[in-house]
Amino acid sequence: MTPYATFGYFGVLLYAVVPLLVPRVNTRWSRLWLLGATGLMLLVQYWNPIELRPGVAVQPLWLVIVYGAFQWAIAQGFLILRRRQITRWPFYGAVGLSLLPLAVAKYLPLLAPESAIGFLGISYVTFRSLDVIFLIQDRLIQTLPTAQFLAYLFFFPTVSSGPIDRYRRFEQDWQRERTGAEVWADVDRAIHHIFTGFLYKFILAYLVQRYWLAPLTGRGLLDTVTYMYAYSAYLFFDFAGYSAFAVGVSLLFGVHTPDNFNRPFLARDIREFWNRWHISLSTWFRDHVYLRFVLTATRRRWFKDRYTASTLGFLLLFGLMGLWHGPHLNYLLYGLYHAGLMIGYDRFTRWNKEHGVWGTSWPWQGAALLLTFHAVCFGFLLFSGRLF
Amino acid sequence: MSTQHEVLGLLAQLTEVPDLPQRLDLPLYETQVLDSLKTVELIVSLEEKFGIEISPAEFDREAWATPRLIVANMESRVGR
Repeated sequence: MTPYATFGYFGVLLYAVVPLLVPRVNTRWSRLWLLGATGLMLLVQYWNPIELRPGVAVQPLWLVIVYGAFQWAIAQGFLILRRRQITRWPFYGAVGLSLLPLAVAKYLPLLAPESAIGFLGISYVTFRSLDVIFLIQDRLIQTLPTAQFLAYLFFFPTVSSGPIDRYRRFEQDWQRERTGAEVWADVDRAIHHIFTGFLYKFILAYLVQRYWLAPLTGRGLLDTVTYMYAYSAYLFFDFAGYSAFAVGVSLLFGVHTPDNFNRPFLARDIREFWNRWHISLSTWFRDHVYLRFVLTATRRRWFKDRYTASTLGFLLLFGLMGLWHGPHLNYLLYGLYHAGLMIGYDRFTRWNKEHGVWGTSWPWQGAALLLTFHAVCFGFLLFSGRLF
Repeated sequence: MSTQHEVLGLLAQLTEVPDLPQRLDLPLYETQVLDSLKTVELIVSLEEKFGIEISPAEFDREAWATPRLIVANMESRVGR
């Protein structure tokens, strides 16, 4: 059963959610219920068998369990090595091992056609596994309680497509007991989010898909440009709608999963766009890839010019983001295209600071908004794979 | 020189906002006074100045949102 895709799913969801509305359950048993509900929902989501090879089927639930045990072992093993002050190679080893299941899931079908492995959400769960590895490396985690680790990894409202929560942020909510008033404040916000989800995903995204996107089958220039707008609108409403559901249901469990979208098409430059679009993904890459790379480069004085590190950091960030989407040329190009936009924008702002050509009055701001919007939509056209 | 004085001096120099020491609650990231690249420079110069190590995951935009918060964070590491 695909999360948030059918009314059947919402029906099952009621069983997980309704007990939370009993005040005593909420304050005393919420942690236990979070684990129980997650177990129940994983069972429902990962029940239908998938075919590993023609004729060999397995329920994804087993893959989820093996994956969880594997990530748990890596994190615990790395924690022990880290306590013994061994640096460098265990870190790269832990990152590599942690990435292995995702790499196999994404790239196996390329090497061995007809075979498939993995489960819905493995890409997103991998980000959470890695977040823990980074925190162990930076000595911000001393112990890793099993229940808390697994609850963070597989928290069912966000397991399939994010938003990507962070371990330390999740931990705060996990350990906190909510007061009655806090519970109702969360429920209030949850309802708002869930209804936004219905509006975006089930009404707007559906209408755009049905009446605008699907009929566009021509390959001419005009059709392609129209497709670019329609696809961008569809992508936003579908994904922002899904994210609103995920955040809303998280709130019912007292987990304040961060929002993923903040009116992205109002961004006036590409940097601002990435602070408003798929926020949990871009901040994950910003903190764990870009910042880490530029910091290491600066400390070890790898480059003479400080902007070289930044340029390479952007290429690394968006190149990896592209590869993460899957082994297809259009995804890699999408990543490199955004790296180019960020690097170009960075150069331009520095140049503009000296020459003062691009102003700040409203016509300039309007032009910046339109320009950013079109640059972004063209990126989605690359992403869609329609061009080649 | 106190920790506060040194941190604010560093910040003012790095951000090119000379009156920063008087604006302790300036939201550094919201106003784009600081970005990721400048954050890295800030981390490295704080490390050099105080002889400490700041790991990348320790940095958190919310915990470092204003000059006042950065000063408090540094004071908790190296004292006043």
